[in-house]
Amino acid sequence: MSSPHQLTCTLAIVDAHTARIVVSGEIVFDSGDRLLGVVADLLADHPVRRLRLDCGEVTFCDSYGLGTLLAVHRRLDAVGGVLHLENRPAALDRLLRRTNTYNHLTRSVEPEREHQLDS
Amino acid sequence: MVKTSRVVRQSDVQQDVGWRSAPYPVVSVDAAGAVRVVNEAALVLFPGAAVGGSMAGTCPGWLVEAHERHTGGTRDRVSGLIGERSFEAHPVGGDDGTVTWWLVEDTDTRLAREALRLERERTAVLGEVSSRLLTSLNPERCMQVAAELAAGHLADAAWVIAPGGRRDFPVARCVRGGDVVHERLAVDPDDVAGLAEALQGFPPVPSRWIEPSSAPGWLVPEEFGEIGSIVVTPLPGHGVPAGALILLRRTEQRAFSEDEEVFARLFAARAGAAMSAARMFAQQVSITETLMRDLLPPKLHQVDGIEFAGRYRPALDTERVGGDFYDVHPAAVTTGAGAVESLAVLGDVCGKGLEAAVLTGKVRTTLQALLPMASDHRRMLELLNNALLDSHDTRFVTVVLASVARVGSEVRLRLTSGGHLPPLVVRTTGEVQEVPAHGTLIGVLPEIEATTAEVVLAPGETCLLYTDGITEAMGGPLGGEMFGEERLHAVLASCAGMPADAVAEHVHMVASQWIGGGSHDDIAVLAITAPRGRHLTAVGGHGRGA
Repeated sequence: MSSPHQLTCTLAIVDAHTARIVVSGEIVFDSGDRLLGVVADLLADHPVRRLRLDCGEVTFCDSYGLGTLLAVHRRLDAVGGVLHLENRPAALDRLLRRTNTYNHLTRSVEPEREHQLDS
Repeated sequence: MVKTSRVVRQSDVQQDVGWRSAPYPVVSVDAAGAVRVVNEAALVLFPGAAVGGSMAGTCPGWLVEAHERHTGGTRDRVSGLIGERSFEAHPVGGDDGTVTWWLVEDTDTRLAREALRLERERTAVLGEVSSRLLTSLNPERCMQVAAELAAGHLADAAWVIAPGGRRDFPVARCVRGGDVVHERLAVDPDDVAGLAEALQGFPPVPSRWIEPSSAPGWLVPEEFGEIGSIVVTPLPGHGVPAGALILLRRTEQRAFSEDEEVFARLFAARAGAAMSAARMFAQQVSITETLMRDLLPPKLHQVDGIEFAGRYRPALDTERVGGDFYDVHPAAVTTGAGAVESLAVLGDVCGKGLEAAVLTGKVRTTLQALLPMASDHRRMLELLNNALLDSHDTRFVTVVLASVARVGSEVRLRLTSGGHLPPLVVRTTGEVQEVPAHGTLIGVLPEIEATTAEVVLAPGETCLLYTDGITEAMGGPLGGEMFGEERLHAVLASCAGMPADAVAEHVHMVASQWIGGGSHDDIAVLAITAPRGRHLTAVGGHGRGA
């Protein structure tokens, strides 16, 4: 086993208001803060209002990782932005449903705000 | 007159003229001990010496003796004192038995050597001070060592006084060669000039000399004799005063030199640092103990015959507290039907270590305060959620509430989850069921949901509450594999019919074995088991197995 708890965040700016971060590895106690740091830097540097977090390569997310996702969501909320958790593995969905944060973290954005963002 | 001048000229001719003004004192003495030549520099040292006069009586005895020895054949260079100064005398023998003594002053070299020796000695003492003081993190022991070393190396007697209460100070005192006495002393620091300031530590005060006659009686050790000098030196700590050092010397010993005072300050700096480190360590230990008392998981007992048993293992094995917790509050509420319900709680605060432990403490305290509402789990969780909602971070807790009541031979449970892993029930048949108690994690979202599930345990059946430290434990035979819920189900199935303590121990043990030496999250398990057999007494008055 290579170094445990490896997390890579690959950031791409899609357009003026949209960014995409491909997260691969484990979002856990030791690594979660890195993701939060990437998001904080992103929001400080770019007027991003839509963040697509690609979770397809997330191998494990523990409760601390869930805390990280909630913190990312809160950061975006604070700037009027929207978080999309994409390609969620089944295990992550189970964690979201068990903690009843599924709707909070994945609910489709209200049409009005979506409309504003698309215009 | 002519003859005389010839003689003088003769000697001038014999010797180098530069001699007279040579920077080194030179005296030439014949075998009979008569001075033949003495230059200007030598005349300064031996003002009575004159050409033709005797060496004895005008030159120092050690040189006269050396000359006699030289004439006798021992031609060593010698050294000795002339007044306060010291010289080496190098003999150069002449053909006629005359010896010319060249004197080279070595006062500075000698002093430097002496200073070097002292410095080495002091460095060695400071080294000893540091190593002996730093090996102890016990404040009392530090004071004792400081007093003993000070009395051994700096003075005839030493006091180490630590800051204490208003009129009561811990002190260590030692007379050179004696044992250290450690005691609390009710004294007025104002009795000794400079002591109050030194104990306060601020403003920084220099060492202070005290008129020995003004010293209060308690300061003078018994049968010490007359005091020659007293100095009070503050012991500087890490930002806090560590106390004061008082050094006493007897009359027969000379007073403290400037060097010795500097040395005493160096000593005080080391002693102060060690003492304050020891005291801070002692304070931290005491604070940690106090905090731990509230944060450690409680000892669980039977309540109303129902068995409760828990196991806990923090993530960092060096710490004793963490983010997982459990509590059992016996007889939390009395239901409408008159049955007594206990409330068991198991939870997991997101995070590890002391930071998580502090939030854990808050959660446990809040839940305890909400015990009167234990009949309404949802309301309890809503209030807990409100108490923990924080705009700054998304730290949360997941928790399971279990209200437990004995009804006849059975145990009825109302179970509610705040985003926690589902409780498991193991039936006497070995069947393992997941309890459908769902709800929102606590402390992040403004609104939460929670549904309560009811479960009835027949005698010998167990309900297990556990944290993700078990299911997400990494390890296994190949390492890097998660323990998982399926394995937990299997382990629990093998625990059918066991007492609560055995179930908790077995689950904890299997998970620990799975982890092996690897790192892990906090682990907590809580087993609630319906009593076996004893219900017969309640029902029919028959003993067990009747």
